Amino acid sequence: MKEEALKVIEAVKASGRNSLVEYEAKQVLKAYGLPVPNEKLAKTLDEALRYAEEIGYPVAMKLMSPQILHKSDARVVLLNIKTPEELREKWEIIHENARKYRPDAEILGVLVAPMLKVGREIIIGVTEDPQFGHALMFGLGGIFVEVLKDVTFRIIPITERDARKMIREIKSYPILAGARGEEPADIDAIVNLLLKVSELVDDLDDYIKEMDLNPVFVYNEGEGAVVVDARIILK
Amino acid sequence: MEKIVEELRPFFEPNAVAIIGATDKKGKVGNVIFENFKMNKERGIFKGSIYPVNPKLDEIEGYKVYKSVAELPGDTDLAVISIPAKFVPSTMRDIAKKGIKSVIIITGGFGELGEEGKRMEREILEIARDNGIRVIGPNCVGVYVPDTGVDTVFLPENKMDRPESGPIAFVTQSGAFAAAMLDWAAGAGIGIGKMVSYGNKLDVDDADLMDYFIHDDEINVVTFYIEGVKDGRKFIEAARRITQVKPVIALKSGRTEYGAKAASSHTGSLAGADTIYDAVFKQTGIIRAEDFEHMFDLAKAFAALKNKLPRGERIGIITDGGGAGVMASDAVAKFGLKMASLSEESLEYLKEHFPPHAVAGNPTDVVGDTDAQRYKYAIEAFVRDPNVDAIVVIVLFQVPLLDEMEVIDILAEYAEKSEKPIVAVAMGGKKTEYYAKILEDKGVPVYPTPERGVRALAGLVQYSRYLERIKG
Repeated sequence: MKEEALKVIEAVKASGRNSLVEYEAKQVLKAYGLPVPNEKLAKTLDEALRYAEEIGYPVAMKLMSPQILHKSDARVVLLNIKTPEELREKWEIIHENARKYRPDAEILGVLVAPMLKVGREIIIGVTEDPQFGHALMFGLGGIFVEVLKDVTFRIIPITERDARKMIREIKSYPILAGARGEEPADIDAIVNLLLKVSELVDDLDDYIKEMDLNPVFVYNEGEGAVVVDARIILK
Repeated sequence: MEKIVEELRPFFEPNAVAIIGATDKKGKVGNVIFENFKMNKERGIFKGSIYPVNPKLDEIEGYKVYKSVAELPGDTDLAVISIPAKFVPSTMRDIAKKGIKSVIIITGGFGELGEEGKRMEREILEIARDNGIRVIGPNCVGVYVPDTGVDTVFLPENKMDRPESGPIAFVTQSGAFAAAMLDWAAGAGIGIGKMVSYGNKLDVDDADLMDYFIHDDEINVVTFYIEGVKDGRKFIEAARRITQVKPVIALKSGRTEYGAKAASSHTGSLAGADTIYDAVFKQTGIIRAEDFEHMFDLAKAFAALKNKLPRGERIGIITDGGGAGVMASDAVAKFGLKMASLSEESLEYLKEHFPPHAVAGNPTDVVGDTDAQRYKYAIEAFVRDPNVDAIVVIVLFQVPLLDEMEVIDILAEYAEKSEKPIVAVAMGGKKTEYYAKILEDKGVPVYPTPERGVRALAGLVQYSRYLERIKG
């Protein structure tokens, strides 16, 4: 687990960067058993076409560049690509958008990913406190975190009880529990995510400074969760 | 004996204290501290020896003055320093040579005043570490222990009252806060067993004190006024140890946000210092107080009810005024507790003993024409009822037919024999205060409003849940 993750981290450091792009961050998460989509980094259009075929249309494409942190602002996330023809077209567009946004952007490749079923959005994050060390954050995504700042923290490492209590104590918990006739979300999957992030950060303590898994889609009870986007900032 | 107990014991019960910088000039810090010990010695509370140290004096009020640390008798085990900062490092070296292992540095003007001060602090710490000396301070008011007569609080008795002894320990960084709090606690009749003000926290810190209080049988609740923690992990570990055996209540100041400026992640921008402390307190079982009043409301409840923690969160309310009952019910919801629903048996029992116009239920309203007996029936029912985890008894002593002493005795009797926590609420003026004090002296925590009484119970519930969680 640690070895695989360290390989990714060392490579990023060797290239003189201190933050992992989505693809790299997800490699680290995957090494610790966190659920990430079955997606691949294409360096060329041919690779992209082959991966899309393997994954199955429709697919999404996300351009990976260390200089582009806000991918949607730069319009380098293109969704619901249905055919190889469309993919060829979008391949041009996504590169053009990147160049317009940051002419100097170094392009590591394009992530070809399956279109995910939309779930309830949560955010899981890590920050480092100067006195207490790494802390884990949990909240619901979107307006709940942006506007209401409805999040809760624990110092890493956490226990399963801590994880369950974190989930229950945010104000928007009823949305996960199933408000207004909705089915309950997969709470066990969230618990598992929180514990795995805690384990990962505890293990890679000396390397990781901060981390955002935002958003994570959580599906209905028994259907799991998946990390949709991720960032890791190194020390 | 535990190492930490051995190391810190002389601060609280020294055999002989050297007061370095003792003087006969009234009002000077070195004089007030000397007077404190001298008065406590005369009262028979301080049992140790007192050795003033001052190169310019031969004697102060009949006490022999030592010219230097080197001349001190060999049984000296605590040094209290109140001399100008620049002389402290060399005095520390003398103390090290003499073999004294516990030092309180009252003097200010160190790290808080800049580079030179910080350099001196490092020098002092180095001497301490090299010689196994523990230091409280600098820049503090030190230690107050009513049972042993240790009192380094340099605010004289005619300006600041001292509280009686009790099971509560109070730890604070701020000296001014320490003094104000002791004075206030004395007025409020809250007993403080040990007070430590550690100022710049050069050596002895919150974690050391938590570890000491684990083993201190005189203390059963520890309260902290925290401005900042230096070693977070050490704090967490010590907090986890003590909260397994004793409740810890913390008031944390400085709710400022610092996260936004330093963080480059989304998460970092959402993490304020305060949210991190919240997390630390939750994970270590420390009960967080909102303010000064809340801290001592909690401390009072824990001091009396530490061994009667509620098994659940279902609150039963007894009142002789409908409005007060509603206020208490609102507070139950506000603080995340639940109203108990009484068993059929309890309801029948109450109806059987109540006149038709009294209200059996939750709240149970014994109404304005109540006598003490009606309270007795109500409390009896609530104590027996398996659906009730904790009880709030509101007594408006003003009602005409209520014999104050009788109801006080009933409450005290049930508070003693019941396994469930019982808190009382008495609202009113001077007359009420008088009876509340009697009730409190009999071991029942009394609060001036329903909201504060329920909030104190909420603290007990929170701690009880924490203990259940860690013990699985």
